[in-house]
Amino acid sequence: MTARKSIPFSRVRRLAVIAGHAFTQLVRMKVFYFLGFFAVIGIASNFFNLPQQSGPEALGDNGMDLLRLIKSWSLGPMTLFSVVMGIVSTALLLPKDVEDRTLYTILAKPVPRLDYLAGKLMGVLLLLFVSLALMDLLMVIMLQVRLSIVLEVQASLGQSRGWDAAAIESLRQDTLAQGPTWALQGAVAAVFIRSAIMAAIALLISTFSSSTLFTTVVSFLIYFIGHFQADARDFYFEGGEAGTSAASRYLAMSVSLVFPDFQLFNVIDAVIQGKTMQLIQFVKLTLAGLYYVAVYTIASWFVFSDKEF
Amino acid sequence: MPAVEIRHLVKDFKTSLKRQPLRAVDDVSITIEAGEVYGLIGPNGSGKSTTMKALLGLVVPTSGTCSIFGKDSLKVDSREDVGFLPENPYFYKHLTGAETLEFYGKLCGLRGAVLKDRVSELLALVDLEGARDRRIAGYSKGMLQRIGLAQALVQEPRLVILDEPTAGVDPLGSRQIRDLILKLRDRGITVFLCSHLLEQVQEVCDQVGIIFKGKIVKSGRLQDLIAIEDQTEIILKDAPPELVAEIEALVKRSGSAEWLRSGKPRTTLERLFLRETSGDES
Repeated sequence: MTARKSIPFSRVRRLAVIAGHAFTQLVRMKVFYFLGFFAVIGIASNFFNLPQQSGPEALGDNGMDLLRLIKSWSLGPMTLFSVVMGIVSTALLLPKDVEDRTLYTILAKPVPRLDYLAGKLMGVLLLLFVSLALMDLLMVIMLQVRLSIVLEVQASLGQSRGWDAAAIESLRQDTLAQGPTWALQGAVAAVFIRSAIMAAIALLISTFSSSTLFTTVVSFLIYFIGHFQADARDFYFEGGEAGTSAASRYLAMSVSLVFPDFQLFNVIDAVIQGKTMQLIQFVKLTLAGLYYVAVYTIASWFVFSDKEF
Repeated sequence: MPAVEIRHLVKDFKTSLKRQPLRAVDDVSITIEAGEVYGLIGPNGSGKSTTMKALLGLVVPTSGTCSIFGKDSLKVDSREDVGFLPENPYFYKHLTGAETLEFYGKLCGLRGAVLKDRVSELLALVDLEGARDRRIAGYSKGMLQRIGLAQALVQEPRLVILDEPTAGVDPLGSRQIRDLILKLRDRGITVFLCSHLLEQVQEVCDQVGIIFKGKIVKSGRLQDLIAIEDQTEIILKDAPPELVAEIEALVKRSGSAEWLRSGKPRTTLERLFLRETSGDES
């Protein structure tokens, strides 16, 4: 045997090995087929024939409606794909390794359990990132093509109707806000952050769950609860004044502590409507995402570190 | 320093809330010196696999300690010198044989040309060079066991733990694995294997322990344990019947020994099978 003894191995490289492997595993499960489906939806939305589109009405809001539609039709499948993939693929990876006993061979190597868990999660996040980046690229291309057409029609119609330059420019600016903006990229990043949180939740559940189905169902329940988390928190803080029972308040408090607050992500809908995303909003979302992913991953580690196989 | 030291290992598993916990391993102590091949034998459910898992830190002992080359088994660094082949292993089906070894090699810190050479070397060792680029999903049972053995050896460990290494493998594959274990012994690698195939254990092990209902009921050097102290075996080749009769008469005349039997020794069914299917005369 000629191989030398293993060199001291940095933790980062080991995480990258596990993450890269999880990514390859998911890619070879042909999850990218979804991208084809996404492309069909995107192209269909681009050619969606709005009844008002062909008339002079295209000059005003209807041209912008079309751009909003493209964004909505793109970000919708992006959210669906990323949340479903984040939950299902994370829910699948861990039990499969236990069932196939591949986990034994990995943990029998000098691999800390935290590295194994974090590596798997990072593999899923890498998959989500690459998928969303590709979908984002498709969306931006479609949006840019449509935007240039809308702008052209608006300019020529505006001139033929004798609008002054300021009015045409004002309309142009409003229309540009509906195109591929930085705020739109922020919204895509928000979609990624939300799916990353869901993947981390699925990871936590899969450390104590006995089946992929259970993990998936509970994760989706938490996803829906997450949209009401802020209501529960408000109920807790305002409950005393409203005269509600202590039990109800504590239940609301536990909901607001355990579950993520997905109402933070309503900013995505605002961006679809053409509103901008402030940098501070983006920083808040990123920090919230990091916080939730870190908390759920550490909780997963606590459960997994004592797990027996 | 012993390669493996298990001291008073006890492992209880919780069952239901009201019932008593199930004691899978009961006060087991095993010491394996470096370079030895140790066989832990016992019927199904006797605690063999649980003992191995405790040694690998996959289960936490209820009491007692396990160490590998002096390092506590519950610490990750104890696994730097260990390779493990679980019973009936399944590897990632989407990877090829070479990719599987690369993955495990990278987990152990190997990379670049060293890793590449190591993968080729191991594939040659387990006779899977022809299947290096074939997906694991298409491997037979025997091939899976051999690629499993190769991954266990990837970081050149000083200790290899094999849980039922020949379970479900045909006699040819089983012989190949047996030969690999002997090669490991020749290279000074400590092997800890558990099996219920007693003949195989007898062929490869220096030391054995018999575990039954979680307890070690017998242990020691194999040759000492199986030798029948008051008997002597003489094997002759091409001996004419007159010579055999003469020896028998001599023994009877001596009065100090009893002639028990003579006859032709029999080969084993395994050897007969191997000779007929592979031309192996051993």
